[in-house]
Amino acid sequence: MNKVLAIAGVVVKELYRRKDFYVLFVLTALITMLLGAVNFFNDPKIVRYLKEVCLLLIWVSTLVIAVVTAARQIPAEKENRTIFPLLAKPVTRWQVILGKFAGCWLAAGIALLLFYLFFAVISESRGGTAAAGAPVTAAASGPHDHDAHAEEAHSDDAGAAAPARRALLTYVEALWLHWMMLAVVIAMVLLGSLIFAMPASNATIQFIVIAGILLLGEHLNKVALRQVEPLQTILQVLYFAIPHLEWYDLRDFIIYDHPPVALWACALATLYAAVYALVFLLAAWLVFRRKGLTT
Amino acid sequence: MGDVIEIKNLRVEYPGRNRAEPARLAVNGLTLSVRAGEVFGFLGPNGAGKTTTMNVLLGFVNATGGDAYLFGVNVREPIARQRIGYLPELTYYYKFLTAEELLRFYARIFGLPRAETDRRIDSLLKLVELDAVRRRPIKTYSKGMQQRVGLAQALINNPELLILDEPTSGLDPLGRMKVREIIQRLKQEGKTVFFSSHELGEVETVCDRVAIISQGQLREEGRVSDLVAKYRCDLERVFLKVIGYEPQPAN
Amino acid sequence: MTTASPYAWLGLLMTVSFSLACTLQPRVVSWRERAGSGDLIKILLGEGRRLFANHFFIRADVYFHSGYYPSIFDQADKPAPTALAGAHDHDAHTADEHERQMAFLGEPRDWIERFGRHFRITEHTHLTGGGEREILPWLKLSAELDPQRVQTYTVAAYWLRTRLGKVTEARDFLREGLRNNPDSYEILFELGRLYHENEHDAVRARNLWELALRRWNEREGRKKAGEQDLFALEQIAVRLARLEEAEGHLARAIQLLELARRASPHPAALDAQIAELRAKMSTAPGK
Repeated sequence: MNKVLAIAGVVVKELYRRKDFYVLFVLTALITMLLGAVNFFNDPKIVRYLKEVCLLLIWVSTLVIAVVTAARQIPAEKENRTIFPLLAKPVTRWQVILGKFAGCWLAAGIALLLFYLFFAVISESRGGTAAAGAPVTAAASGPHDHDAHAEEAHSDDAGAAAPARRALLTYVEALWLHWMMLAVVIAMVLLGSLIFAMPASNATIQFIVIAGILLLGEHLNKVALRQVEPLQTILQVLYFAIPHLEWYDLRDFIIYDHPPVALWACALATLYAAVYALVFLLAAWLVFRRKGLTT
Repeated sequence: MGDVIEIKNLRVEYPGRNRAEPARLAVNGLTLSVRAGEVFGFLGPNGAGKTTTMNVLLGFVNATGGDAYLFGVNVREPIARQRIGYLPELTYYYKFLTAEELLRFYARIFGLPRAETDRRIDSLLKLVELDAVRRRPIKTYSKGMQQRVGLAQALINNPELLILDEPTSGLDPLGRMKVREIIQRLKQEGKTVFFSSHELGEVETVCDRVAIISQGQLREEGRVSDLVAKYRCDLERVFLKVIGYEPQPAN
Repeated sequence: MTTASPYAWLGLLMTVSFSLACTLQPRVVSWRERAGSGDLIKILLGEGRRLFANHFFIRADVYFHSGYYPSIFDQADKPAPTALAGAHDHDAHTADEHERQMAFLGEPRDWIERFGRHFRITEHTHLTGGGEREILPWLKLSAELDPQRVQTYTVAAYWLRTRLGKVTEARDFLREGLRNNPDSYEILFELGRLYHENEHDAVRARNLWELALRRWNEREGRKKAGEQDLFALEQIAVRLARLEEAEGHLARAIQLLELARRASPHPAALDAQIAELRAKMSTAPGK
């Protein structure tokens, strides 16, 4: 374990000594603050669009950090020949894979934490938690009985504390599940780095796959039903085989002040992510251990 | 003490890049042993199989046939590398780390305690004369300084066996002399040194025994003095005769 | 040959860049005029901006439903829901119809879909009590990208004046819409509603609705019977009729109700109102 953590520590040091994270963070902050300064119909209380844009930038930035960092780990070690002094030590290839994974994941987690802290500051500065959240009414009552239902919707809350606690739990869940998703992504990219020749091609393919899963993953079964065989079977197999990364996207829950996800569902999603990450890491190890490295 | 390095009938075959290209036999039935406490020179022309043999010993490449052992442990086991140090020919280390951070990292891989790590880092950086620049990133170092960092990392675990791949390649005469001094000091401490080199003059000076391989096979092995006596010439001519090179007479 | 001094190179580069700027400036102005807008983004996007404008309008609807919205795959068999636009035309848009449109989720087909529903919004809600402000940025953006999309102005103005108490902003936005779409009877009608319901200025409201009626005749009158926007005609005619009735101009009110009756899918209700007005006219002293 010490060896794994040692390798992970080097990965974290590398990420924070490169400019990637700082550039992305500054860009996110700049764009968010610029958008926050825009006046829409002289209403300073509008906050959801800002949350959405900020969270989108956070997602894009952390995915870029995770994919680019993971994609270059082992290829860069081979190209820079730093893999040889490392493997000449009493360390197994499994420990190298695990160490690289742990380092990338930890680094991504620290980046996530900083991004979400920034988001929380921006959101709170606009009064964006449930303390000032947009009231809703169940549509079944009709869209026009709004005043009565708005009061009713708020009457269950015991003051401002309960909505604030609920919002905090939603934030924590969103951060946790986002981090779990990055675990799957990093493991997938590490496997890709051992299969594809160039880090750039690995990163490009992974971005396309990840975007495809996030946008289309949950709809593949609907699309499959409209197809003829054998495409229907292929799509259904794909639907069940891919890691459903869209489960880990709780942005809507934050933007729309939705109640948090049940903790047991979060726990199961965490287990699902752990299983997929382990599968990808094991596959990476199986590929890596057979690779001859010539000095 | 038994053999530190034991190679038995080693065979390494690299597959062809496609079906039309035949497999390439890099090492063919090599049998070799290195005893504890000796300085052993591993010689051969380019493409002879020296690097491949070293790669097998270090676990970078799996042998197609035969076996290799370090301290009696099969080289496929990572624990076999617990008591060795390795200095590659081309020295590249994590450029974003400082020399101190790099040594601390490798010390942690070996599982050295913190206090012991601090003590060894201090003494090694003094030995390789990098104490003044220990907190500068390695990317700011010259080639010679990077080579010295490499030597320091090879010694971080106080290894009983040091494997050096062309240790004086690219060094100036002062650098080469310092490496020779370190090898001799290690020998005096009872360590075993196994290295490959093209500097036969150096090999003749420091080595106890040498092995000469060519086209993946062992051609000659023995004490330097015995080989020189046997072929009645210096080590360089011994080398050329063993690999089958006949110099052209000058017109 | 001596190397030119760096200052000479600097001077040369500055001269070149100023010359380029002077040469390009008139061209940039002509590009803007051709695009019909001074906005660089609109020039760059070209006609694709209408796609973005539509996307942002739908985004506003998503916000109105607090994220509960069908994807394009859910909408494959069904028309897109229209609560955002429909809420302000609530006479024709019933809650039941909207509920049917929004019941797109159905039973989950497999365990993945069932589990995945824990991580998506599955509750059908509408923003209320001032929360409607959250849709405004998307409507504003949609209008910026496609100023000819009339519905954006009318929908935004509706929410601004009826739920958010921003009558001035609503009026300004409608006027902006009118500048970009001078022949739009929809915007004229909505502006009339603003003056009537919020500013209680019956004179202005009548003028605007009369103008809206004229614009409707000019635009829709040329179309074939099945293609005309009869709903808008009924809306304008009925409101104008109510105004005329309130002012005591019963004959004009009846005329307008008869016009509305020809456009209405439910003429029976209007028949009853016409009969009531006729009765009132016959009993009124000195008619």
